[in-house]
Amino acid sequence: MNNIYLPNLVTIEDIYEEAPDVRSFRLVFKDPKLRDTFEFKTGQFGLYSAFGLGESTFCIASSPTRKGYIQCTFRKSGRVTGGLAQLSIGDTMGFRGPYGNHFPVDEWKGKNIVFVAGGIGLPPVRSVIWNVLDRREDFGHITIVYGAKTVADLVYKEELKHWEARGDVTLVQTVDPGGQTADWKGKVGFVPTVLKEAAPKAENTVAVTCGPPIMIKFVLNALLELGFEEESVYTTLENRMKCGVGKCGRCNVGDIYVCKEGPVYTAAEIKRMYNDF
Amino acid sequence: MADKILKKADLGKLIESVTGKGGRFVAPTTDSRQIVFKKVKSAEEIATDYILARNSFKEFLFPQTEVVAEFTLGKDTVDMRGVEVHAPQTVIFGARPCEAASLKGMHALFTWDFIDEFYTKREDNTVVVTVGCTKADDACFCTTVNLSPASTEGADVYLREAGESYTVEAITDKGKKFVEAHAAVFGSGSVKADPLVMPEKIANIDLAKVSERLKDKTHYDDKVWPKLTRKCIGCGACTFVCPTCRCFDIVDEGTAFEGERRKNWDSCQYDTFTLHASGHNPREHQHQRWRNRFMCKFNFFPEKFSGKGCVGCGRCVRVCPVRLDITEVMEEFSK
Ligand SMILES: Cc1cc2nc3c(=O)[nH]c(=O)nc-3n(C[C@H](O)[C@H](O)[C@H](O)COP(=O)(O)OP(=O)(O)OC[C@H]3O[C@@H](n4cnc5c(N)ncnc54)[C@H](O)[C@@H]3O)c2cc1C
Ligand code: SF4
Ligand code: SF4
Ligand code: FES
Repeated sequence: MNNIYLPNLVTIEDIYEEAPDVRSFRLVFKDPKLRDTFEFKTGQFGLYSAFGLGESTFCIASSPTRKGYIQCTFRKSGRVTGGLAQLSIGDTMGFRGPYGNHFPVDEWKGKNIVFVAGGIGLPPVRSVIWNVLDRREDFGHITIVYGAKTVADLVYKEELKHWEARGDVTLVQTVDPGGQTADWKGKVGFVPTVLKEAAPKAENTVAVTCGPPIMIKFVLNALLELGFEEESVYTTLENRMKCGVGKCGRCNVGDIYVCKEGPVYTAAEIKRMYNDF
Repeated sequence: MADKILKKADLGKLIESVTGKGGRFVAPTTDSRQIVFKKVKSAEEIATDYILARNSFKEFLFPQTEVVAEFTLGKDTVDMRGVEVHAPQTVIFGARPCEAASLKGMHALFTWDFIDEFYTKREDNTVVVTVGCTKADDACFCTTVNLSPASTEGADVYLREAGESYTVEAITDKGKKFVEAHAAVFGSGSVKADPLVMPEKIANIDLAKVSERLKDKTHYDDKVWPKLTRKCIGCGACTFVCPTCRCFDIVDEGTAFEGERRKNWDSCQYDTFTLHASGHNPREHQHQRWRNRFMCKFNFFPEKFSGKGCVGCGRCVRVCPVRLDITEVMEEFSK
């Protein structure tokens, strides 16, 4: 019987502490065949199990250009994520996926890309960033604007250093006022404000944004002010999900099932949706 | 050739014929003074005088709770196994034409891209035998949603009361095979069917208008929602009895060492249904949850799955503890 609810077993190959209560797992399928054949697209998500506690939805934070493993990054915020946070390297967990649509990265060839992320909104964006950086020559200018409440809350600290050091990426980091440390060299201010200051040009440019709903709202406004078109601004929705496959009925925004038709949408598509997220 | 009939006195033989082959026979029974669909062993258990069972027969296709996988955790091992669906040959006898009409949409949802075999395998093994209604109450409104006691949509075999017998009409191939497989029980003859009783169409409801009004997204923030649904206490009863409601949760149960993953009925009327871990809730207020249910019935479910979102069975109206009547909301949206 083909059981759509049965997860695959994955081994935790490595764990990275990203920020207080935020960690990443590097996961490898136990089934060697699946390890070789598993494919996904940037922006897709999965259901991750802590056995005995249940399943949680996270994006796949690694890039499909990096084969042989997947990475997820999660914040400890409840029953399942609390259970996952107790696992160690070598432990087994479950994964179902990949599900949902994806960022149309191939359509962006020849364009500039601006990434705007806040806090734990960086993981889905990270998949796109590496997807693009691994084929750097296909794209124009790349700007990353990333902010968190405090310096400690910035995730992927090592990668931020790497992106900063690369000559072919403009990285702007910021923390909320009061969140800076004595040796903080980045900006102090909210992401939308810092984005406006950085003022990436809108012409021939695609924007990708993810973060808390309130940040997304102001970032969208800022992007429109900078001249971006709603069709070229992408974001992901994080409606609560259980099945991930269009059955359980809880991820809907009116007539749209985010798990199947999303989670990636343009700002223009979001504007056309029911006001239900 | 004379038409097929089933003598009411032979119902016991039909049950034996089905259960003798290992199948289960489900019918409305009188249980603690309520009529409920249950597995029966003898004709005596079957209710004879009823309008509609209190529960929908959906639980025999989509159980309230079912195991989808089992896991065992050892010191250094984790094993997760899928379970086979328990899908015995099943006859649903005495369903009403309205509720059978829910099956098309159910099928569309459970096979939309990803196929949920826990549903489809049961569906494959289920024969739905409906009986046209000779009684209705003031909660019945099938005719308002373009169905009637004469509808055969979703039925495999359609019966009509005819005195001491039923007339028998096999609708689908599955229905024909069922009648053939139990040919010894069905007789032939010419009996006159008792008249069907049609619930009166609710004059102030225009289904096309309801659907049209819901398409205009501006109604979303309309004050009419809190106004009409304020008394709802969010108990979820309406969704559990509804033949077209099919939302569920996926949960793990067990000890630290072994357990099972289950699919459990859930309800969009509960505040935790859509609650994010951050505390944000897209449908924070009860009227928003009620609006979702109504939209599901009359807007997006029929459009997406080309099945009926509401079959007019009236179960939600009968069960609601605060008497919130969905037809009143339909009337409002027919204006
Ligand atoms: C497409 C998508 C991608 C996502 N990507 C990421 C990601 O990359 N990283 C990430 O960190 N998060 C991500 N999320 C969010 C993530 O799914 C949730 O934060 C996570 O599932 C919640 O954690 P949990 O299962 O441990 O919480 P749970 O314990 O299951 O809690 C979930 C909800 O139930 C409520 N709840 C908990 N206990 C109770 C109770 N006893 N009674 C009533 N209510 C209760 C909580 O308030 C919360 O709303 C994503 C979500 C989606 C939909
Ligand atoms: S919404 Fe009410 S009347 Fe309509 S099918 Fe469901 S239970 Fe029956
Ligand atoms: S049965 Fe009535 S009170 Fe309960 S959730 Fe449904 S409408 Fe609300
Ligand atoms: S998560 Fe179950 S329907 Fe979308």
